[in-house]
Amino acid sequence: MTSNNKLIISYSFIGLFIASCSSVQVTEEAVYEDSIQSIEVTSSKAESSTPIESKAVLANATVYFEFDSFNLSTRSIQALKSITNLMQDNPAIDITIAGHADERGTREYNLALGQRRAESVADYLELKGISRSRLTLKSYGEEMPMTLGSNERSWARNRRAEIN
Amino acid sequence: MMKLFLMLLLMPNLLLAELLLEITKGSENPYRIAIIPFQGSSSSVNTIVEVLNSDLVRTGDFYVLKEEMLLSMPKTIEEINPSEWKLLNIDFIVLGEVVSEENSGLKATYEIYDVNKKTKIRSSTVFGIPGRIRQLSHYISDGVYESITGLKGISATKLLYVNEIKNNLDSDYILYIADADGANEQVLLKSTEPIISPAWSPDSKQIAYVSFETGMAKVFIQDISSGKRELVLTNNNQISSPAWSPDGKLLSLTLYQDGNAEIYILNLQNKNLTRLTKHYSIDTESRWSPKGTKILFTSGRSGSPQLYEIDLTKFNTKPSRLTFEGNYNAKGSYLPNNEGIVFVHRSNNEFQIALKYFDENFIRPLTESKMDESPSVSPNGNVIVYAITDKESGMIAGVTLSGAAFVLPATNGKVREPAWSGFLR
Repeated sequence: MTSNNKLIISYSFIGLFIASCSSVQVTEEAVYEDSIQSIEVTSSKAESSTPIESKAVLANATVYFEFDSFNLSTRSIQALKSITNLMQDNPAIDITIAGHADERGTREYNLALGQRRAESVADYLELKGISRSRLTLKSYGEEMPMTLGSNERSWARNRRAEIN
Repeated sequence: MMKLFLMLLLMPNLLLAELLLEITKGSENPYRIAIIPFQGSSSSVNTIVEVLNSDLVRTGDFYVLKEEMLLSMPKTIEEINPSEWKLLNIDFIVLGEVVSEENSGLKATYEIYDVNKKTKIRSSTVFGIPGRIRQLSHYISDGVYESITGLKGISATKLLYVNEIKNNLDSDYILYIADADGANEQVLLKSTEPIISPAWSPDSKQIAYVSFETGMAKVFIQDISSGKRELVLTNNNQISSPAWSPDGKLLSLTLYQDGNAEIYILNLQNKNLTRLTKHYSIDTESRWSPKGTKILFTSGRSGSPQLYEIDLTKFNTKPSRLTFEGNYNAKGSYLPNNEGIVFVHRSNNEFQIALKYFDENFIRPLTESKMDESPSVSPNGNVIVYAITDKESGMIAGVTLSGAAFVLPATNGKVREPAWSGFLR
């Protein structure tokens, strides 16, 4: 690899009038550019080990949140009660809780917010006696919206935690 | 406001998904320059003048006299008649020549003449790479910019950004590298899962980013020229928001192993982790100060996202809060001269890019659309690129501190997450 070869020589000269002092910048340089390698990856996501028959029950378990909030609403708690019962009745079922955010705000903050939403759900389940070892938590931030659209209705549907 | 579509539109070899440049606004008191068509026989002289034009106009600091307005076309400095250019109110004249062509190794020379001082102020030679005439042109633009403004130019720098391209129900997520003008776009990583938060190493040879390809946010480091990449940490937890220290030895990250987003510093040589924040609220989006002595981050500890700074030179200091206006200030980064920070600010339910100088007690909004995010500052500190979410599309736009604005509209897909490289020349 050739490195940037830059040579700068400046010189001054005094003209007929002493006050007019000036300088010319003389440079020589070579364009430098690295090569670029493109790569492609496909998803290496592990598939959920939840038995198929119970998935149908769990698939609908989504709870919703207010903007910049990770507090569970009473309505969310109602939805989580059925999850609690199902998990208590079926000790073999492990679940994944994925937190999401709406498109407003920054992507990284929303990733953290989604995580807090998943944590809120996990905290509730743990309070109801479900072992933390049965729960996998993650966040998609604003990256996987349920519905597209920049309006209150879409945002409300996207601020969620999905359980399956 | 008059819109000026640039010559770039006429450039050959533009790929479909490539970004096109549009200047929406210039500064109010620009340097007025004339670029005399370069001498030389090939089509490369046209490309050089076109790229020079768009590069200089995009900085917002230059007015370039239209070619048809030139009263004469001096071949050498000696042929310049200063009074003729004074009439046109021209401050500087750029003259140049492509000395040798691609087969024998591209070489161009250029000179800058100061009309007011009636003297030559620069005489330069640039050796190019065959087939990369635009790159050579960017080097000339930066030389012209430097001689006239005294600031380092950024035409020969690069941008990273992510594009989401829908295909049926699924999306492809592509991390691109392109020249600072959006041309010469090349794929660094193509994935079926989201990619966010691309960041440059200080030497601009490596990048870090968050990829969801394993089903969970993870930070990878990728070598640009070899394509070799690796996970920065292997564990079962989510990791995000990478930022290199200015010396390239450390990487700040957001780890979620405590059940909450906290900032850690990873030593890239021995993989030692040092915890930086400890608070039950969200702490993320860390950025290093230009000298590497402070870390700026977003925290929810006041009840809403605000920007805080930790001094790394003092043991166990409490973070100090930097933003107080409004209930959403996030994703900050320092100006390279450490005079202030640029960040996302929420105002009247709209998200804009704002600037706060440390010696001022108010913030300056820089943009005015509804959902602007992800600001990234040019290495000379003069331009800020950011992402505009406009209905269901996304594009990259820029503003200069002198008040000029431009957009790089995507022809395809939702472009976002721009990240500006360091100086490359």
